[in-house]
Amino acid sequence: MSALRRRTDAPATAAAATPLVTLVVNGRSVEAPASRPLARVLRDDLDLTATKVACGRGECGACTVLVDGRPTMSCVTAAGLVRGPVETLEALADEATDLREEFADAGAFQCGFCTPGQLVHATALARRADELVGGDDLPGAVRARMSGNICRCTGYQAITASVCAVLERRAAGATSGPSCGHADPEEAAS
Amino acid sequence: MSYVGSRVRPIDWEARTRGETRFAADLTSPQHLYAAVLRSPHPYAEIVALDVSRAERLPGVRAVITTADFPEGITYLHRGAPLSDRPPLAAGVVRHVGQEVAAVAADTPEEARAALRAIRVRYRVRPAPLTPRDALADGARRLHQRVTDEANVAFRLDATWGDVETGGRAGTTVVEGDYVYPSVSHVCMEPNTTLAAWDEASGTVELWTSTQAPWFIAKEVSHLLGIPHDAVICREVAVGGGFGSKSKASEHEVLAAALSRKAGLPVLLELSREEEFGSNKPRHRFETHLRTSADEHGTLRLFDADVLVDNGSYSHMGTSVMRVGMITLGSMYRPDGARFTSRLVDTATQPGGQFRGYGTPQVSLAVESQVDELALRLGLDPLEMRLRNLGPENETTLCGYDVTTSRLGDCLVAVREGLDWDARKTAVATGAAGGSSSRGLGVAAGMHGSGAYAYEFANRSDAAIDLFADGHVRVRHGSADAGTGQNTILAQIAADELGVDLADVEVLSMDSERTPFELGAWSSRGTHMTGSSVGQAARELGDQLRALAEDKLGGGPVTLRDGRAVAPTGEVDLGDLVGLSDAAEGDVLSHETSYVLEGTEMISTGKDRFNLSPTYAYAAHGALVDVDRRTGKVTVLDYVAAHDVGRAINPTAVEGQIAGGAAMGLGAALGEELVREGGRVVNPTYLHYAMPRSADLPSIRPVIVNAEDPAGPYGAKSVGEMSIVPPGAAVANAVRDAVGVRITELPITPDKVVTALAEQEGRRRHHGLWRRPGRWWVALLRALYPYGLHHVLHHWGTRLGRGVGPAGHRPPAPPEVLRPGNLDAVVAAVADGAQPIGGGTDALVERERQSRPAPVLVSTIGVPAMRRIRSEDGALLVGAAVSLAELEEALPPELAFVADAVRSIASPQIRNSATVGGNLAQEKRCWFFRNGFSCYKRNGVTSPCYAVTGDHRFQHAVIDGHRCQAVTPSDLGTVLQALDAEVVLQRGQTTRRLPLADLYDGPGELALADGEIVQHVVVPVPTSGRRGSFRKLALYQGDFATASATVTASVDDDGTWHDVRLVLGAMAPTPWRATATERALEGTTPTVAGVRRLLDRELDRHAHPLPGNGWKLDAVAGLVEHAVEDLLAQ
Ligand code: FES
Ligand code: FES
Repeated sequence: MSALRRRTDAPATAAAATPLVTLVVNGRSVEAPASRPLARVLRDDLDLTATKVACGRGECGACTVLVDGRPTMSCVTAAGLVRGPVETLEALADEATDLREEFADAGAFQCGFCTPGQLVHATALARRADELVGGDDLPGAVRARMSGNICRCTGYQAITASVCAVLERRAAGATSGPSCGHADPEEAAS
Repeated sequence: MSYVGSRVRPIDWEARTRGETRFAADLTSPQHLYAAVLRSPHPYAEIVALDVSRAERLPGVRAVITTADFPEGITYLHRGAPLSDRPPLAAGVVRHVGQEVAAVAADTPEEARAALRAIRVRYRVRPAPLTPRDALADGARRLHQRVTDEANVAFRLDATWGDVETGGRAGTTVVEGDYVYPSVSHVCMEPNTTLAAWDEASGTVELWTSTQAPWFIAKEVSHLLGIPHDAVICREVAVGGGFGSKSKASEHEVLAAALSRKAGLPVLLELSREEEFGSNKPRHRFETHLRTSADEHGTLRLFDADVLVDNGSYSHMGTSVMRVGMITLGSMYRPDGARFTSRLVDTATQPGGQFRGYGTPQVSLAVESQVDELALRLGLDPLEMRLRNLGPENETTLCGYDVTTSRLGDCLVAVREGLDWDARKTAVATGAAGGSSSRGLGVAAGMHGSGAYAYEFANRSDAAIDLFADGHVRVRHGSADAGTGQNTILAQIAADELGVDLADVEVLSMDSERTPFELGAWSSRGTHMTGSSVGQAARELGDQLRALAEDKLGGGPVTLRDGRAVAPTGEVDLGDLVGLSDAAEGDVLSHETSYVLEGTEMISTGKDRFNLSPTYAYAAHGALVDVDRRTGKVTVLDYVAAHDVGRAINPTAVEGQIAGGAAMGLGAALGEELVREGGRVVNPTYLHYAMPRSADLPSIRPVIVNAEDPAGPYGAKSVGEMSIVPPGAAVANAVRDAVGVRITELPITPDKVVTALAEQEGRRRHHGLWRRPGRWWVALLRALYPYGLHHVLHHWGTRLGRGVGPAGHRPPAPPEVLRPGNLDAVVAAVADGAQPIGGGTDALVERERQSRPAPVLVSTIGVPAMRRIRSEDGALLVGAAVSLAELEEALPPELAFVADAVRSIASPQIRNSATVGGNLAQEKRCWFFRNGFSCYKRNGVTSPCYAVTGDHRFQHAVIDGHRCQAVTPSDLGTVLQALDAEVVLQRGQTTRRLPLADLYDGPGELALADGEIVQHVVVPVPTSGRRGSFRKLALYQGDFATASATVTASVDDDGTWHDVRLVLGAMAPTPWRATATERALEGTTPTVAGVRRLLDRELDRHAHPLPGNGWKLDAVAGLVEHAVEDLLAQ
C-alpha cells in the first residue's frame, strides 16, 4: 500500500514547490513545506489529530492551537508563517487538567468536536487569569474572547461558566492541574 | 449510590477532553485514498453527456464512479415508494445545485479535486421552479411524477380533527396571518465523513461513518450496492453532532463505499464545510397560513391552517416532517377542533431533511405567535392565556396522542418566576426602558414526543450487557451517541441495575457485528428506547447473577451493590459469578434482550391520528429582549427554558440539551437562514451564515421542573428536540412586546425590524433620482436586470470570463511562501510579481476562488521594522505587519474607539495573525464574490452582479454602487479615516504618503501602483478635547459590518464641536464621509436629533439603494445617533 500517501509524507507536489521550514511542535522540531497549512502538518504529517478542522477557512476555531502562546487558527496559517513554537491539545492537556475536569462537570462539551479548540483557547486565557479576573465583567470578557470558537452543541453556557470558574480559581491561587498556570510550554510538551 | 438522577461526568470525558477520541477523519488505519464529489452547478439540467475517461487516466486517480456504477434505476429507499426518488448519483437529470454527479478516489485530496475538473459533463439547462409558489404555478416544470393530482405536490395531508363547527362558532376573536420558518442548516461541527473499506473476498464493506443511526446507513448502503444488509458493517467511531441530520443517510456514505469497492482500497470521503451548507439537507422551509380563534374567556377554539412545505428536489423525510409539524395544531392545546391542508412541494433546491424538532418549530412559530396576538386582543397576559389552555393529563389529544403526564403548567410558572415576569411586565408597560432601546418579554410553549413509531420495528430496541470476570461491565447497543450523552446515561442505568461502580462500565455502540438490533438515535427515542432496553437487559442479567449468588452463598435474598452480590450468608464479587454460569463464554457472561414498546401506533396511510410516542415532553421558554429601534438589532438579554423531561437521568446532560437546543433555536430566530440565488446557496460558510457565537447569546437558564412519568424508563421522557421548538415564537413575541411590530418571518434580522418600524412610524425616504443624472445609467441597468439582462449575463456572459477557482486537471502548484527578514527583500519580491501578504489568513482562503492565484506570496511579518509601533510627532506609526491584537494592546486611551473597532473584527485567533496591512487590503466581502459565483468582479465584465437581483440586504452598497455593489470590508480602513490617518506606501526605494481615504479606489481595492506595498500607517493621536466613537451593526460577534459609523470631533468646554469627522462603513464601495453633515456641525453644539436630521438629508441626497437595502440608511443613521450620544457623554 505504499501508493497511499496518508500521513507521514506530504503530497509530492507540495513538497516539490516550496522549501521546507522548521517548526517546533510540542517541543519537537519538525520540517514542513512552507505553504502547507499548519493544521495539515499537525493532523496528516504528525498524527496530532486533537486539532480538528471544521471549516478550513479560519472561521470556526476548531483548529485553534497556540503559536508563541497565542491562540491561532492553524487551518489558515501557512507553515512558513508560523512565528513561534506551536502547542496543541496533546501537549496542553495536563496543564489544562482543571479546565478539562470543569468542562466534564459542567457539561461544557457534548459531541466534543469543538472541544480541543475550546480547551486550547481556554488554556491561553487561563495563563492570563490574574489579568482577566481583574476586569469588571469576567463572563462578558470570556464570551468575547471565546467567540472565535463555535460550538453547535452546548449553547456556550457551560463553556463560559467552566472557563470563568477555572480562571477565578487560578487567580485565587488554587491550582488543580499538575502544572497549572506557569507551565513552560517546552516542558509541558516533553 | 444511585447514578440515575445524578450529575455524572460523560464516561469518556478524559479521552474526549484530551483530544484522543478519534472521529472518522482522524483515523489512520486503515490507510486510505481520498475522495471528492462532482456536484451539479445547475438547479435543473439534463445530463447530455458524461465522460470520466480523462479523469480516470490522471496520475493518482484510483476510481471514478458515476450512475453507471450502480444498478440501473436504483434510488434511496427512504420512506419507500412512491416517494423513493433519489439516485445515489445523478441519473440523467440533476435537480438541485450540489447534487452528486460523479465521485473520485485518488491518492491525495488535491489529486481527487483536480480530477473532478477532468470530468466532462454536458448539461442542458432547463428552467425549473425554485420556490413552492413557483412550483405550484401553471406551467411550472414537474420535477417528478407524483401520485397527487397537483403538479409538484409530492404529498398532501388534509385533516379535520375534533368539532370544527362548534369551534368556528364559539371562536369570536380571530387572528390570521402568514408565517415563514426558513431553511436552516444543522451545522454539525464535524462535517459528514465516512471511511469505507471494501473487502473483496467476503463482499462486505466496513464503514466508519458519522451517523446517529448505523442501522439505517447499512440499510441504504446495502440496498444501493445490491448486497445484503449485514454485508455493510458499521464500526464505532466518534460522531461530531447530528441534530437529526445524521439520523438517515447523508448521501456520501454509499459513494465512499462504492469508490472503495471499485478502487479495491479504503476510501475516506469528508465533506467540506461548503458542501455541508450548500448541498446537504437542511430544515424544511414552512410557509404557514394560520387562522386561530378564541372565545372571550381566552379559550382557544379553532386552528385552521394551510401550509406549504418546501420539499426541495427529492423526498427525504418531508412527508413525516410535514405530518409532525401539522400535529402541533392538535397536540398541546385543546381547541374544539383543528383543520388543515398541507402540501409538500417539490422545488429544484437542495432537499430538506430531518432536523431536530422535525416540523414542530415551523408550525409552532405560527401557533405560538397567534396565541400571543389573541391574548393581546383579549387583554390577557400571554402567559396566563397559555395556562388557561393547557391540555389535560392522561387524555387523548385531537391528533390522537395518548398523553400521560404533562407539567407544562409548571414550566410556564417557572418562566414566570424565572424572568420575574409580572413585575417586568408592569415595568415594560410603563416604559421603564429608556432611550432608543425597548425591552420586551415573550413566552412560547411546546410539546414533543419521546420517539416516534415511524417505521416497522421502531417500537423495538435490543441491548446486550456483558459482565467480565474482572468485574467490569460492558453495555452494547446499536445506536450512536453523536453528543447527546446517551452512552453515559446507559452506563448510569447499567451501573445502578447491577450495583457496580460507574467507572467499571464501558459502552460499545454502533458496531453492526457486535451490537444487537437498534434503529438508532432519532426522534428523541434514545432515552426511552435504549434506556428501556439496557435497563431491561441489566435487570435480567442481575436476576441471573442473583440466582447464581444465591446458589453459591446458600441463601438469599441477594442484592447487588459495590460490585458484589450480597446475601445474609455472605458475599461474592460479581466477576466471580461469571465462571459459575453455564451461559458464560470464557471470561464473559453476556445477556441480550429485546424491549418492545406497547401502546403506540405506527404511522400508516389512510389514517391521520396516531399515538406515536410512549410519553410526551413539554417546555415553556421565556425571553427578555432588547430591541434597538435605531438599528433594528434584537438582543436577547435573558432566557429561561423550563422543561418537563419527566425525571432527568443525568441533569447536567439534560441541561446541556436544553441550552444547546435553545441556542440553536435562537440562532434560527435571530440570524440563521440559507440564502439562495438561482437555487444555489449564497452563504455556505460560517462567515456568511449568521449563527450565534458565544458573545451573541444571553445566559440561557435551563430549568428542569420536578416531574416523573411512570411510562418512561426511570420516569424519564425526552429532551433533545423539545428545546429547539419554542425559541422562534418566544423571541418574536418578545419583539412584538418591545416595539409593537410583529415579525412573522424568521430570522428576525435588523432589516425586518427597521423596515417594520419605519412603516409603523410612517417614515419614508426620497432619493430624488430624477434630479441626479449621474445615477441614471446605473438605475437603467438595474432596472433591466430582472427583465432579461441578468438572465443573459448569467447564462451567456459568464461563459466568457476568467473562471472561478483553479483550472486544469492537475493539482495547482502550491504557492511559494516567503517570509524575508527585511523590507528590501519584501519590496524586491513584490516588484517581481509576488503578492504581498501579512498573516495570510485571508489570502490563503481567497486564492481558492482565484483563477490565477499568485505563484509567490511574500509576507511582511518577518520584517522587524514593519512589526513596530512608534510614536512620532503626536502620531502612532503602525507598521503594516503589526497584528490586530498587537495594535489593540498598543492603542492609548485616546484611541479607545479604535480599539473598539479592532475588537469587533473577526475572532481573537484571527486578530493574533492578521495584520494591519492585511486588514486594510483585504478583499471585498460580498457573499457572491466570496462564495464562488461567477460575478462581474470575479469573472469579468460580461458577468452579472448577483447582488442586484439577489439578496443584498446586509452587505451591499447603498450609496454609489455601480456595476459591482460590494463594499470595502475593512473596519480599520473606516475608523482610521475619522482620524485623518495616512498610509505610507513603498515601491522600490521610493515611498509616498497619502491620506488613507485615497488608498481605496473601489470595494476592497487599493490604489497601489504595481510593486507597491503598504509600509506603515500614520495614526494621529488626538489631543485632549477630541472625542471619538465607533459603532457597528453586525449579524454576529466578529462579523463584518452591515453598517458602521465613526464620529470624531474636537469638543470645546462649552460643548461646541469642531473638525467633525463622520465616516460610514459598509454603505458605499469605499468608506464614505458625510461631509455636508460634518460641515454643518462645525462650530455648533449638536443634539442627537439635529445630527440625525442633517445626516438623513445628506443620505437621501446621495443614496441609491437596491430594493432590499434601503433600511441600512436608517440603521447607519441610528449608529451615528449612538455615536453622537457617546461623544456627548464622554
Ligand atoms: S477549521 Fe480552522 S477555523 Fe475552522
Ligand atoms: S461540543 Fe459539539 S460542537 Fe461543541
